[in-house]
Amino acid sequence: MIIDTTQERMLVVSDLHVGNPYSAATRTLGEFFEYAESGRYNLCINGDGFEILQARFASLAAESAIVLRGIRRLIDSGATVLYVVGNHDIALENFLTAWSGIHITPFLNVTSGSRRIRIEHGHLYDPSFVKSPQLYEWLTRAAGPLLHFYPDVYRLWDHYETLRHRLRPRLSGDRQSSVYHEAAAMLLRRGFDAVVFGHTHHSEDVALTPEGRYLNCGTWVRGGSFVEIDRGQLTLRRWGD
Amino acid sequence: MFKKLIKSSEAHGTELSRTFADAELICREGDSSAEMFVIRRGSVRVFKASARGELELAVLTKGDFFGEMSVLEGLPRDASAQAIGEAEVLVMTAGALLVRLRRDPTFAFELLRRLSGRVRSLNARLVLAAGNGSDSQRPGFGQALLYQSEAKPGGSTARGD
Repeated sequence: MIIDTTQERMLVVSDLHVGNPYSAATRTLGEFFEYAESGRYNLCINGDGFEILQARFASLAAESAIVLRGIRRLIDSGATVLYVVGNHDIALENFLTAWSGIHITPFLNVTSGSRRIRIEHGHLYDPSFVKSPQLYEWLTRAAGPLLHFYPDVYRLWDHYETLRHRLRPRLSGDRQSSVYHEAAAMLLRRGFDAVVFGHTHHSEDVALTPEGRYLNCGTWVRGGSFVEIDRGQLTLRRWGD
Repeated sequence: MFKKLIKSSEAHGTELSRTFADAELICREGDSSAEMFVIRRGSVRVFKASARGELELAVLTKGDFFGEMSVLEGLPRDASAQAIGEAEVLVMTAGALLVRLRRDPTFAFELLRRLSGRVRSLNARLVLAAGNGSDSQRPGFGQALLYQSEAKPGGSTARGD
């Protein structure tokens, strides 16, 4: 299992949710993989790449085949593909390793240039998940059928989350605004220069200390954002910009 | 203000950040201190006294940790550690370690992975030593084995390295 790795050029994406009826990932990832190949980047999928909890098997099978073929081409071109497990795809740990040469890992400690970067999905810091993982999984599964009848329910949830994310810092004054910032700060204290999470679906790039940054690579469910690592420099980018 | 203080103290547990000057000792072999250390900046040399002088066991860098055996077992230090250049370390007592593990669960994974690597390495070397008998009699043999397993497994890739 790879935990400590040296990666000079790498792209990090998360929360593709391939198989979810609302996910745009299958339509847009092809070009993104071509970009990775032509730029000679390695790739890290930082959790929730495949929608195991909410997708119907037929759509998951059809859409994941397209994505896995793209990943296969990338690996054949010489790239390393690392997959950090998220809360929606824990069941994939054995399957993906055996299937397509993807390196599965719980988290990564990446050295790039002179920087140490932690890449982790981030669900371990989600209070709802930590307090009751079984209930969290059950509710996520229960929401699955609703998505198939009424995909726009995801849009409503997404608006609610965006609003909550924007209002939270205001409601709590100028104090620490999120549990993810606190978790990233804990990691920065033990020798990391940057922390990259996914899970929240909200891309952000925040300087938590004078030398330490927290980035979130967002989601590919709508649009697509990613973190580009190039010899220790991290840039949060939006696909298509 | 009190809320802010409490929040800050909760976030950091009883972890302290300390800076050591070049060649300053961070911990000494035989001492009965019970803290572990995580390197935040700089490098640290781990060594042990032997009949033939100092035996260097490892040079550790940013992000590496050491001294965990004293925290976990409460036994005297097995080796000494000294800063190479200026080094900043995070100092954790057992209580602070527990707070850290609660809030940073992947640190537990890294700690267990390190200890597991040491057991695997020791097993392999003991099997070898049993084969040629003399190795296990060398001074510092056991400690050298512990730190030889510190090499981080795999991971570097061809692209852009």
